[in-house]
Amino acid sequence: MLAGLLALLSNLAVLGFIYWRTHDEAASALQRQVTEQGAVLADVYRTGGMPALTDAIQDSTSYGDPQTAVGLFDGSGRQQMGNLATLPHTTEPVRDGFSNGLLRFQGETTPEAAALEFRRLPTGQWLVSGRTVGDSFALRQTLERSLLIALAFALLLGLACGVILANYVSRRIGGIVAVTNRITAKDLSRRVPLTGNGDAFDRLGHRINEMLDRITALMDELRMVTDSLAHDLRSPVGRLRAAAHAAAETGDPAERDQALANVLRQADSLTRMLATALEISRSEAMTGREQFAWFDAGELTSELGEMYDPVVEEAGARLEIERPREPLRLFGHRQLIAQAVSNLIENAIRYGAAGGHILLVAGKIGQQLTIVVADRGPGIPAERRTEALKRFGRLDSSRSDEGAGLGLALVRSIAHLHSGELVLDENAPGLIASLQLPVSDDPAAEPADASAG
Amino acid sequence: MGRKILLVEDDSETAAYLSKGLGQEGHSIEIASNGQEGLFRGSDGSFDLIILDRMLPVLDGIAVLKALRAAQVATPVLVLSALGSVGDRIDGLESGSDDYLVKPFSFAELLARVNALLRRREARLNPADHRLTVGDLEIDPLSRSVKRGGKKIELKPREYLLLEYFARNEGRVVTRTMLLEQVWDYHFDPGTNVIDVHVSRLRRKLEDGFERPLLHTVRGAGYMLAA
Repeated sequence: MLAGLLALLSNLAVLGFIYWRTHDEAASALQRQVTEQGAVLADVYRTGGMPALTDAIQDSTSYGDPQTAVGLFDGSGRQQMGNLATLPHTTEPVRDGFSNGLLRFQGETTPEAAALEFRRLPTGQWLVSGRTVGDSFALRQTLERSLLIALAFALLLGLACGVILANYVSRRIGGIVAVTNRITAKDLSRRVPLTGNGDAFDRLGHRINEMLDRITALMDELRMVTDSLAHDLRSPVGRLRAAAHAAAETGDPAERDQALANVLRQADSLTRMLATALEISRSEAMTGREQFAWFDAGELTSELGEMYDPVVEEAGARLEIERPREPLRLFGHRQLIAQAVSNLIENAIRYGAAGGHILLVAGKIGQQLTIVVADRGPGIPAERRTEALKRFGRLDSSRSDEGAGLGLALVRSIAHLHSGELVLDENAPGLIASLQLPVSDDPAAEPADASAG
Repeated sequence: MGRKILLVEDDSETAAYLSKGLGQEGHSIEIASNGQEGLFRGSDGSFDLIILDRMLPVLDGIAVLKALRAAQVATPVLVLSALGSVGDRIDGLESGSDDYLVKPFSFAELLARVNALLRRREARLNPADHRLTVGDLEIDPLSRSVKRGGKKIELKPREYLLLEYFARNEGRVVTRTMLLEQVWDYHFDPGTNVIDVHVSRLRRKLEDGFERPLLHTVRGAGYMLAA
């Protein structure tokens, strides 16, 4: 409807413009002609006097253009020369210059509308040149008629176009609405049909489809997490229950104390596991980006290295830290990156300390900042690395180590939060875990005090 | 000596448990069961400490906290919350709280933090001379030098910070998470015994060659520096 109206309006505007231009143009062309003719005749008189003017008037009348009128009249309006029967009528009294009026040719009885140029000669005579509007008037009428027909056509066409366009738009949008209706009805499998011509509707559809893919992936993951959480919580809750039971049953105070301490430990481990699962979900949902700030990832790495150094030593290994002298500026969540790196170090201590050497490296190549933790332990076989990164993907199922299955998954989700990735590789022997984080050198993202560094 | 503590907690079971425990420590507890009431009672600044649950009916804990700080109430605030992600903790601390404790917590952990906050308030109210002494241990925060029985003890920078924190909480239990937060400024839960390793190293430096122990392990809670 709106489209039809708009088409109609623009058509009207075009037609109106044509009408205005031609109407105006015709009138001014006519005026120019008679003014020119008057000026030429006046010049002839000025240079050649009456005899030359007489010749010129005879010339133009004998020329035979039925539209052109020339005449010389005396002061009282009597005809002296030319093809005019009488002095033409004008609405205003006769004066020098251009005016519109009525003229009558010799031998004619009906006056015709004309553009007229009056020139008063020094002798008191009136030199009149004129041109009837006849032809151009008829042309104008034809034009106006055509314009009206064109207007009618434009109206019909505009309406038709509007209807077609409206149909098209509502069909394309209908496709999208159908999909969103299905989503409301909890069906996420449908996708917006695309025509493939890359227009705005296709782009919108594409974005919606991408969004749906992402939501589906998140929901699948959520379902997976809920399922595995429910499943994985069974064993710690079972252990907690068994510990509580043991504490309730025993009569020996020393044994009871021990059993109660075990209850507390199991409860703590359960809490920690839930907290980690929550942290993973938050990172995957991109929550926490509002707490991003600039910090020196190299400094953080050596700080953590220093913190874990005694622990590595107690585990019978040596921790080697490498980082460039210049700051490794990263826009991210300092606490979460600290947690990720500490998880990697703890992982290396837990599984790789037997190898005797743990390497902690922070560095930057191009636009990528990498923090590597490499150990010389047994490593993880290539075919099991994907599994190791999954939530609850605990490699050693016999291990009752609390939360161990979540460590790498948490590191990976923190990498994702920073648009980065956690990559596991072979250290032959041992495991190389690289936290790869893209850094932007976008000056717009620089903090105000960046120049200090 | 007992202190006045305002406990803003809507869960009556938790409130009763905390109020009983803190009461046994000699503090007098008042309970407000929603945020508005908590804000109203806490506004006069007559309490030594406010323990504020984050999720409260009528007015949530963070809103109460911001309102208190906007009204220039400087009473220390300890936020309790079931929201335990690293982001939530940072958020809670940045809203003007002095400490943030995630539920579930042990009473020992809460008590240690309550005592540390009360102690900090005291220290702020009566600025003592800058030298810290614990028995025959002397700490000079300006030069960061440590002596025991007149003998100089060499500490690494982080070990010094650890000791200074212990000394400022002399005679009070300090938990592992408090140490991680206050000395290292990390707000996550490490899976290993990293804090224990550092404390035992510090202990060795403080106690090697001396009869009396200074740095004590408090079972089920944490550590305590005391002569």
